[in-house]
Amino acid sequence: MTTVLPAGSGTLHYSVKIYKGQHFRRNSWVSVTAFKRCTQKDLSCAMSSSICRSHGVSKSLKTQRYSFSHFPFYESWKPSRTAVNSCLEDGSTKFFDFVVIGSGVAGLRYALEVAKHGTVAVITKAEPHESNTNYAQGGVSAVLCPSDSVESHMRDTIVAGAYLCDEETVRVVCTEGPDRIRELIAMGASFDHGEDGNLHLAREGGHSHHRIVHAADMTGREIERALLEAVVNDPNISMFQHHFAIDLLTSQGGSETVCHGVDTLNTESLEVVRFISKVTLLASGGAGHIYPTTTNPPVATGDGIAMAHRAEAVISNMEFVQFHPTALADEGLPIKPEKSRENAFLVTEAVRGDGGILYNLAKERFMPLYDEREELAPRDVVARSIDDQLKKWNEKYVLLNISHKPKEQILAHFPNIAAECLKYGLDITSQPIPVVPAAHYMCGGVRAGLQGETNVSGLYVAGEVACTGLHGANRLASNSLLEALVFARRAVQPSIDHMSQSGFYVGPSSRWARPVMPSSLPSSAMDDILNVTEQMRKDLQSIMWEYVGIVRSTRRLESAEKKIHELETQWEKFLFQQGWEPTMVALEACEMRNLFCCAKLVVSSALARHESRGLHYTIDFPHVEESMRLPTIILPCSTVSTTWSSRQLHKQPV
Amino acid sequence: MAINLSRQFASLVGLSAPKLALASAGSESLARSVVGSAVRRLGSSIEQPRGNPSGELRGEAPKEIRPQQEEEEPREEGGGEEDDEEEDGQVNKETGEIGGPRGPEPTRYGDWERNGRCYDF
Repeated sequence: MTTVLPAGSGTLHYSVKIYKGQHFRRNSWVSVTAFKRCTQKDLSCAMSSSICRSHGVSKSLKTQRYSFSHFPFYESWKPSRTAVNSCLEDGSTKFFDFVVIGSGVAGLRYALEVAKHGTVAVITKAEPHESNTNYAQGGVSAVLCPSDSVESHMRDTIVAGAYLCDEETVRVVCTEGPDRIRELIAMGASFDHGEDGNLHLAREGGHSHHRIVHAADMTGREIERALLEAVVNDPNISMFQHHFAIDLLTSQGGSETVCHGVDTLNTESLEVVRFISKVTLLASGGAGHIYPTTTNPPVATGDGIAMAHRAEAVISNMEFVQFHPTALADEGLPIKPEKSRENAFLVTEAVRGDGGILYNLAKERFMPLYDEREELAPRDVVARSIDDQLKKWNEKYVLLNISHKPKEQILAHFPNIAAECLKYGLDITSQPIPVVPAAHYMCGGVRAGLQGETNVSGLYVAGEVACTGLHGANRLASNSLLEALVFARRAVQPSIDHMSQSGFYVGPSSRWARPVMPSSLPSSAMDDILNVTEQMRKDLQSIMWEYVGIVRSTRRLESAEKKIHELETQWEKFLFQQGWEPTMVALEACEMRNLFCCAKLVVSSALARHESRGLHYTIDFPHVEESMRLPTIILPCSTVSTTWSSRQLHKQPV
Repeated sequence: MAINLSRQFASLVGLSAPKLALASAGSESLARSVVGSAVRRLGSSIEQPRGNPSGELRGEAPKEIRPQQEEEEPREEGGGEEDDEEEDGQVNKETGEIGGPRGPEPTRYGDWERNGRCYDF
């Protein structure tokens, strides 16, 4: 992708700091074989990216930052504490020093720190508390007990990650975690204590010590509450809720991409608002909704990953999607819920621990076929077994039966499940529970260095949207909140440094085409578009579940690739037939294009990994291959692809 | 460890109160399901004299927890940590935790569960 900058640049007014690459390894990830998959000759390539294996896990994402002589449109601008009154507004363009996309723990933690140095806009697509963080009800893991050690936490993390973790990242996170927890407490988050006054630490699966800090059973919500309160009270932070981020605003400086801000859609007033910033933090969370059953709230449609990919950021490890084996399957309930459940109800492992048995719909007990530990096999084995059964028999769910246990015991231990099922006419003390695996967490995402930096200058990432190398091929329990906290904090200093030497982009406003509302379309056309898009989303989710589920195969993945491409082409054709213009925006359409983008990233990553490791299991390469113990990297490359989802809105062909 | 019914209901009320307070701030579905089950328990126990079958089911459950739990085998992860009644501010006898989750240890099978719903793993 080339962008033409006008010649005859202006003079510089300030000094330039050349960044040294952080943690340089061999830059051999640049020696890439570009895969261009062309299907039919009249269709452009499905994937506008190239995929490679990274040799010698490179943490450096950029070589040198070029001097600003390439950027003729900058002015120098010194930040000051009085910045609170000087965030400029120009119609529907707003100027901030820092823009944060996402209001989960990563976004808010970062906002609170950088707000000491400049103005901050936090952009969030729904209500501020509506994020994956809020649903993280377990705890945060950190070494807080004298008998525990950073090495132990590191070891547990790396083992869980199937040895694909980046060791330096793991060390940094495990070392800095305890301080981040202490800061949260200082900010007002209240965690459970013991009688001795120390934090009460639980021990979750995979951890060899008690190290999970929690607030009764709603840790995420408590952290979110404490951070939101602090954010609301901070005069330098402006919260823009119900603002959906559409695309990052980027330009080319030499061989480097620079991020200048983001276009958003105010979904309440239905207006486009452009944010110009010196630094952008992407903290937009995961993409659970590429699958039909997910624990993620509806906002998790992979917006950040898609925007970053379109902005030429490097994406990594998208094949590692964490599923929970037993979520309540609405299809199996006697009374179907009126509207589909927003986020899946996970049925705890404890049901199996207490004697629950898994059956397929033919009432066969299948776990003994897969593992001698039967129902108490590790979670991923159970998930694969269930998935295999579902595919084999072409069914929608399996059954988890605990009704052979005493009624009082069931109701005492699992009142939540009992109540939920009873609402829909199922009595778990006498009937089996319908369950199906649910997508829960994306281990992959935008590739981040140790400071949360990406290969796009001025763009930082933190939280689930990032792939920092901490989780490797599988996330250890309670490490995700920890990662968000640590990386949000680590991105602060580089952001401040970057901001101090940047000026606002003050070039012509026509530099990036503005997204437009589809007001020229008749309402009947919009209704059709919304209906078709809703159906397309379900179709995409079906394809993902059917072909890119827990147990994969090359044949199925290739089918998925083809089907997704066909579906996307069909959808776009329909849109444009209705009169949709490439720069038009609507929430559902933009989410759909992001879902398509993320789905394609998952499929191509899965196809690129010729081994089974951690969460990625493929029957064509069922074993771990030491030579493949490398992250999967997706680079953008010059593309002939013209799908709407793979280009930024302001770069659409006219 | 005989705990009378009135204290159980008092503790159920104590349980629902903070959850109600948090419901306004955060995710509704979680709060709703937790509050809903606590409130339903109270509601059906009150309905019990009317002979409501589902109410009876739930109304009986708290009473019968006591003897049953004594008989249960210790579990793998948190064997013996499976503690019972504790109000907010009350101490979990096994772990010394103050104001923590009531009922069996949430991580006893490796995942983080509350009343059967798993929140993290």
